[in-house]
Amino acid sequence: MKARTRAATLLLTPFFVLFTAVMVVPIGYAVWLSLFTEKQSGLGFGGTETVFTGLDNYTAALGDRAFLEGFGVLLGYCLLYIPLLLAGALGLALLLDSALARARRFFQLALFLPHAVPGIIAALIWVYLYTPQLSPVVQAMDAGGVGFDFFSPEGTLPSVVNIALWEWLGYNMVIFYAALQAIDRSVLEAATVDGASAWRIAFAIKVPLVKASLAMVGLFTIIGSLQLFTEPLILNKGTGSAVTSTWTPNMYAYTAAFDRNDYGLAAAASVLLALTAALLSFAVTRLTGRRRTGTANTANEPVTADGPGTAARKEQTA
Amino acid sequence: MTRTWSRTSRVIAGTATALAVLTACGGGGDDTASKPNGPVTITFWGWAKGSKDVVDAFNASHTDIRVKFEEIPSGTAGGYAKISNAVKAGNAPDLVSIEYSSLPEFVSSGALQDIGDQFTGADRAKLLPQTVELTTLGGKSWAVPFDAAPQAFFYRKDLFARYKLQVPTTWDAFKKAAEQVKKADSKARIATFFPDDPTTFEAMAWQAGAQWFKAENDTWKVDTTDPATAKVTAYWQGLLDAGLVHKNASFSPEWVGSLKNGTTIGYLGASWGAGVLKGNVPELSGKWAVAPVPTWDGKPASGMLGGTSFAVTKDSRQKAAAVAFAEWMSTTEEGVKARIASGTSSAFPAAASLRPVAKKAFDAGYYGGQDIYALFESAGASINPHWSWGPTTGTTNTAIKDGFGKIAQGGPSIADAVKAGHDATVAELTKRGLKVEG
Repeated sequence: MKARTRAATLLLTPFFVLFTAVMVVPIGYAVWLSLFTEKQSGLGFGGTETVFTGLDNYTAALGDRAFLEGFGVLLGYCLLYIPLLLAGALGLALLLDSALARARRFFQLALFLPHAVPGIIAALIWVYLYTPQLSPVVQAMDAGGVGFDFFSPEGTLPSVVNIALWEWLGYNMVIFYAALQAIDRSVLEAATVDGASAWRIAFAIKVPLVKASLAMVGLFTIIGSLQLFTEPLILNKGTGSAVTSTWTPNMYAYTAAFDRNDYGLAAAASVLLALTAALLSFAVTRLTGRRRTGTANTANEPVTADGPGTAARKEQTA
Repeated sequence: MTRTWSRTSRVIAGTATALAVLTACGGGGDDTASKPNGPVTITFWGWAKGSKDVVDAFNASHTDIRVKFEEIPSGTAGGYAKISNAVKAGNAPDLVSIEYSSLPEFVSSGALQDIGDQFTGADRAKLLPQTVELTTLGGKSWAVPFDAAPQAFFYRKDLFARYKLQVPTTWDAFKKAAEQVKKADSKARIATFFPDDPTTFEAMAWQAGAQWFKAENDTWKVDTTDPATAKVTAYWQGLLDAGLVHKNASFSPEWVGSLKNGTTIGYLGASWGAGVLKGNVPELSGKWAVAPVPTWDGKPASGMLGGTSFAVTKDSRQKAAAVAFAEWMSTTEEGVKARIASGTSSAFPAAASLRPVAKKAFDAGYYGGQDIYALFESAGASINPHWSWGPTTGTTNTAIKDGFGKIAQGGPSIADAVKAGHDATVAELTKRGLKVEG
């Protein structure tokens, strides 16, 4: 028993040391920083004095339209991005899973490949493809009469969504494909025997059976969207596009710290963003937990031939 | 045994690092205490063209000071963020490059130390007064000016000849020339509006006589919407609306590409731009020429676009050595020669006596042998001395840049962007506890 305790302590220590060093301490430091403001006097050339200002930085962030608009941008981003991502990734996965698909391995790899490209590189590639004088894409679009300015105020959201889709579609397609592969083949055979068409099988059987994966991907993507930073930052720097320096809340914190030297405000904005993420994560875990038990009990019953358990289990492993 | 040893040594190394960081954080002030026997080593961060060559030349000719140069991205492209962070973390280099526009911000955040005791009045007297003015804040001297950056207009003389254009000397003539260029070649434009770069616009406002920041009795008077600025704003909005200039990010691939294929035939820049142009489009050698920047009334006038100074960070304990090196770069013949001879820099030294040196060292073949330094000389003398920078350049420029990005036909305008810059500046000064009117 004693040895076991010792082993447990030994094995857990690295985790807790790292957790404390890279999570707890930085968060604590950010909270601490967020309570102070650097004040100056006279014309400001006499150096700074760090003053405890309580929650002033929080009210400043929440009172700043730019910060709140960042959340608005995130909302718009989610509304545009998530449906496209889910539909696209699921569609591709269904195609790959269908009997018609050839060279599955190749397409799986080819579609996944963009995800292996780091976000910065992806953004740089797309910036090139968005730039009117350089891009063959824009030139082709202009020639085809569908000119679009990717850097204009209306163009920014689609531009960023497009980069994100390019990066994440293949990745999520693999998740859906794995879930589809896990579906009991006998269910599909039974449907075929009953005379269901390929369309019918896809939408009436396969999709309902991977609903949990859909929900999971959707919710994780929402949480991930809060972190939106790299791609819009590249669009902000050096393109002259309408992506502002405070376009997302993350960028707001970055700009506050590094362009405006206001570490207190940056810390407050970061803490607010972290709180939002924590709340959302909590809600999501609660929601997904309930949803999964729900689907296991009801939705699978009519479709599965060999008892409700199998499909539900498969679904969860997916 | 080895294992124990390695673990112990690692602990020692770790402790030493921690101590080093701690002492770095708490250091400063006792710069006279350390007068070592061997050479003093200082670290220098910069991005100006030719910096590496200058450092090499210095190290080759000096035994008492060794300079370690690290190249960082240019200020607004991330260099300033890097410097501020390093100062905050207590591991900043001794000497950093800072443009005049950002110096007040670094001074006000307490990132630098007063170098008045090393950089004396006699040293300052060697330099262009406007640059000394810009580095003297609150009665103290904060940086060694290196170059002055008077505006200049670079143009393709072959294409100007082909389109039968006169080099414009006034902004009215510039607009007419812009129309002619567009008429001659529907894809070509006379110049570019840089939506990512407020500093070029600010230089235009400066030239027109604007005064965005005025310090009076401990109060900042901020006005980015004075008549001079309004005039510049309306003028550029007119050029944009009529499609007479390109709108591209500065120094971006599309800008360089348009220079290469002759669809951009002019560049409104500053003295240092001569080197940049040469570096970016070397194949167009002999086709470019430089002219004074157009003015409003035809009389010589210039703003300043960029311009570098060297400042000592607050925790540096090698102030004397750092200032000595900075002065060597700015005020000695060898220092200026080493930079210009690198071939990439066309800096216009703030030290008047060294301009002949710079002129001699610069290979003007790219400009067909034109005496560009004589041109910079008269432009430098015409720099409007009434401009000063406030302590919130980061905020001001970020807000204006954000606004410039949003400019669209019938949508947000340059005026909106400049107003946003004004409001952000006032809010920032207020937040810092400073008195502000505007």
